[in-house]
Amino acid sequence: MSWLRRLFARKRMELDLDKELLFHFDQQVADKVRSGVPESEARRLTHIEFGGLEQVKEECRESRGTLWVDSILQDLRYGLRQLRNAPGFTLIAVITLALGMGATTAIFTLVHEVLQRSLPVADPSSLYRVGDKGTCCYYGTDFENADGDYDLFPYDLYLELKQSSPEFEQLAALEAGGSTVSVRRGTTPALPLRSEFVSGNYFAMLGVGAFAGRPLTENDDKADAAPGLVLSYATWQSNFAGDPAIVGSTIYVETHPFTVVGVMPPGFFGDRIAERPPDVWMPLSVEPMINGAGTSLWPQGDHDTAWLYLLGRVKPQTRIPALQSKLSAALRQWMSSHVGYTANGGASEIPRQHVVLAPAGGGIQALQLKTGRALRMLMILSTVVLLIACANFANLLLARGASRRAELSVRMALGAARTRIIRQVLTQSVLLSLLGGALGLVLAYAFSRAILLLAFPHARNMPVNADPSLTVLAFAFLVSLLTGVIFGTLPAWASTQARAVEAFRASNRTAGDRSSIPQQALVVLQVALSMVLLSGAFLMTRSLANLEHQDFGIATANRYVLHIDPEGAGYTLERLPALYRRIEDRLSALPSATNVSFARYTPLDGNAWGTCIIQQGRPAPGPNDGCFSSWVRVSQSFLKIVGVPIVRGRDFSAQDSQTSTPVALVNQSFARRFFPNQDPIGKHFGVVDVKNSGAFEIVGVFADFKMNDPHHDVGPLFLRPLTQQYLGYSDPEAISSEKSSMFLRSIIIQFSRPQSDAENLLRHAMAEVDPDLPIFYFSSYSSQVAGNFNQERLIARLTSLFSLLALILASVGLYGVVSFLVARRTTEIGIRMAMGASRSGIVSLVMRGALWPIMLGAALGIPAALYVGRLGASLLYGVKSTNPVAYLAAVVVLTASAAIAAIIPAGRAASIDPMQALREQ
Amino acid sequence: MSAKPRFDLPQGTLDLLIMRIVALGPIHGYAISQRLQQMSRDALQVQQGSLYPALHRLEYKKLLNAKWQPSETGREAKFYELTAQGRAYLEAETENWNRLTDIVGLILKGTLEGAS
Repeated sequence: MSWLRRLFARKRMELDLDKELLFHFDQQVADKVRSGVPESEARRLTHIEFGGLEQVKEECRESRGTLWVDSILQDLRYGLRQLRNAPGFTLIAVITLALGMGATTAIFTLVHEVLQRSLPVADPSSLYRVGDKGTCCYYGTDFENADGDYDLFPYDLYLELKQSSPEFEQLAALEAGGSTVSVRRGTTPALPLRSEFVSGNYFAMLGVGAFAGRPLTENDDKADAAPGLVLSYATWQSNFAGDPAIVGSTIYVETHPFTVVGVMPPGFFGDRIAERPPDVWMPLSVEPMINGAGTSLWPQGDHDTAWLYLLGRVKPQTRIPALQSKLSAALRQWMSSHVGYTANGGASEIPRQHVVLAPAGGGIQALQLKTGRALRMLMILSTVVLLIACANFANLLLARGASRRAELSVRMALGAARTRIIRQVLTQSVLLSLLGGALGLVLAYAFSRAILLLAFPHARNMPVNADPSLTVLAFAFLVSLLTGVIFGTLPAWASTQARAVEAFRASNRTAGDRSSIPQQALVVLQVALSMVLLSGAFLMTRSLANLEHQDFGIATANRYVLHIDPEGAGYTLERLPALYRRIEDRLSALPSATNVSFARYTPLDGNAWGTCIIQQGRPAPGPNDGCFSSWVRVSQSFLKIVGVPIVRGRDFSAQDSQTSTPVALVNQSFARRFFPNQDPIGKHFGVVDVKNSGAFEIVGVFADFKMNDPHHDVGPLFLRPLTQQYLGYSDPEAISSEKSSMFLRSIIIQFSRPQSDAENLLRHAMAEVDPDLPIFYFSSYSSQVAGNFNQERLIARLTSLFSLLALILASVGLYGVVSFLVARRTTEIGIRMAMGASRSGIVSLVMRGALWPIMLGAALGIPAALYVGRLGASLLYGVKSTNPVAYLAAVVVLTASAAIAAIIPAGRAASIDPMQALREQ
Repeated sequence: MSAKPRFDLPQGTLDLLIMRIVALGPIHGYAISQRLQQMSRDALQVQQGSLYPALHRLEYKKLLNAKWQPSETGREAKFYELTAQGRAYLEAETENWNRLTDIVGLILKGTLEGAS
């Protein structure tokens, strides 16, 4: 520990050193005086003989074993002082680094959280999902994907597979979609909570115990078991105030009593990352009780409902490919024995059907499938930002290194050791990286928070954490540190190599200067990278505009949407008409309300029912006939309120009642698809069974509008009136589904002018109709539609933000280089002006010099941008990734901002006073 | 100052010379440089830039010990003396040096005889 003692004895040592050398000096002077030299002369001579006193001291210090701690502290202090003395440089360098690190860390953190996260359960690596697609949420007896990949399962197929695959320790089934249910405890108002039905072995399969009480078990999942459920920890805390007495108590789900058997542990969020993870888990066995006749668990008749995902834990040393083949064979076997799959030519499809066994340590990859491509794109773009930031940092350091060349030469001449100088420059770069990293951490946190809010505006208890991933931050930090070390040290090293005399002589005089080539190369790199971001931003923004400003075919202004759940509030089919009448009367009476309508689903809320159309007089369609159409049950004024015109025939009217002919309205796509080159008015079609093919008479055709996914073209859609329940079905499942379709859950209300607080107004009015009918959802219609583009908007905004950053950084870089060149060429410019060069000639000289790295960078950037554009092509809507306008615009914007960055130093060059410049030599 | 030729000291020799002088008794830096000059009959004039770093290096290696005490003029000076370790080192190095010069001399002489 002697270096530590010496560290503290440093002051004394310095004093001793001074004293010792001074003694020597004085003795030498005294000797000279004694030999007859006058004292002043003696002093002068001794000074000369002595050489650099500081140099001697420094060498003495070094010969006492380098005091590395000491000198590092000194270098740190020196570095900080230097940074304080150049606040502009320091600020720009630190901000540049922080932005680069912050952006990259935020995006990589999200990627890590969303794409690479494992479920917080025991040994996630032995979890496998039977299926690898995102097919959702209810399918009938269908082949699910064109390539024969099957991933959404009916209950009886689940039981079959579970029984035939002992390779699984546990194979569990869980509801693919999940739904919102009314939950009521005591006399408090009903809460809309997210629910998920799971098989009894679900929690055992995951290996998750309860926080309080117990998890659901096989015993809860029996037909005769008392209904039980478990709550998520977050829901227990927020909706039930963490009341420990809730375990064992009774709560009502859709009016049915359930015992709360347990609360799951904090941090457990189920089987997938979702915006709104389940609040309650219920066993599959209670599904018929909740969904009534529309049950998916034990559908009646020949029809199966596929609505479950299968997730299992395999036994150690299970051979996955063999298990996958075995399950696929079992699937085909099961299908062959079900008439629903073999009928109408379906048998020929069965050999292609198979399952894929996918590792499911991260759970069901629904969100990942949805956002993966976008996140990966953002990952590439944020890395580009980091690269640009590093290039900028490098450039700043190079310029600074060059401007300090004279200073370093002086210090070397005064006896500073080369290694010490390089070490000091290194310390400074490290300091800058550290400061940048610290600020970057703060920015990364803010960025991740903001991105999460933008990407998932409806998130509740979402298990995605915005805390920056330290691994990523460390990586970004390392990259910028390396940049600092390389680009900070190289110029210092180069200037310590130069001989002092040359440095002095050349410090201000250059014309054809090659020393700025690395700086210019960095500018070229920045411009090329900025091209990638700028063209990307143009493409994404264009794509978003195409999406948002496309003609959806509906009107949204001054319209609001409410969701209710009459079933959950205990309304029966018989009491429904009265309820709808009361709501309509009450809401229409609101000031400036012009129209009220009901629909099962509203256009662009992401939902619709689908069915297979059977035209009257035609045979039952086969599996490849594309008989699919969406359908929605609506009240009479629906088309009027969403602003969709009738193009042929008539709208629904008050005459369409339970006793009149069952009617339907179809869209133009429907008419084209099922009744090509015919007048569809008066034609009949049915669903489910050829027997019903005359069920509905088409009385009108309405203009196409986007009902489902606004990214896709309009598909066939038909509407049926609220007033007509079709009674002609014989299939029990069709009967119950028809009944269930009578419950319309969406209310649309239109006002004649904008409302300031529509939500309160409507909630109050609805509470007057029935205080026990909870409002599940409220939104203005325009924001509901805009909600379809959250992801695109996020990407477009982030890309624009990134490219703005890139533009600023590249402009700052260029400005720095041009200023530097102008400063170096002051004398040359002075001579030119003295020889008669005009000021405009000087400006164009400087601008020409600034323009070529831009042009070169743009030229190099275009292929890179095209490549990245091709990777992101699938994210674009209505614009090709090779759209020349985007690339042209990027070049124009880059050139314009480069011109602005260069015009300032160019102006400075033009205002050089020739006499002054020449005298400065 | 001096008309006699100066020598560039071979590496490490300065340490040996300093220690030889210090071996005569406690002595400060200025006196060491004076003594070196005298004993070499002005052939050697050691720069302060070499002398003091060497002294500090030897002190750091614990071959020399330093203490402050009044000099001949009464002013406090830093006096160096050999440590036991330093004395052993000096003996060993002197031995080495003598052997080296003998050998070098032998060879140089031999070459001359052969050439004549």
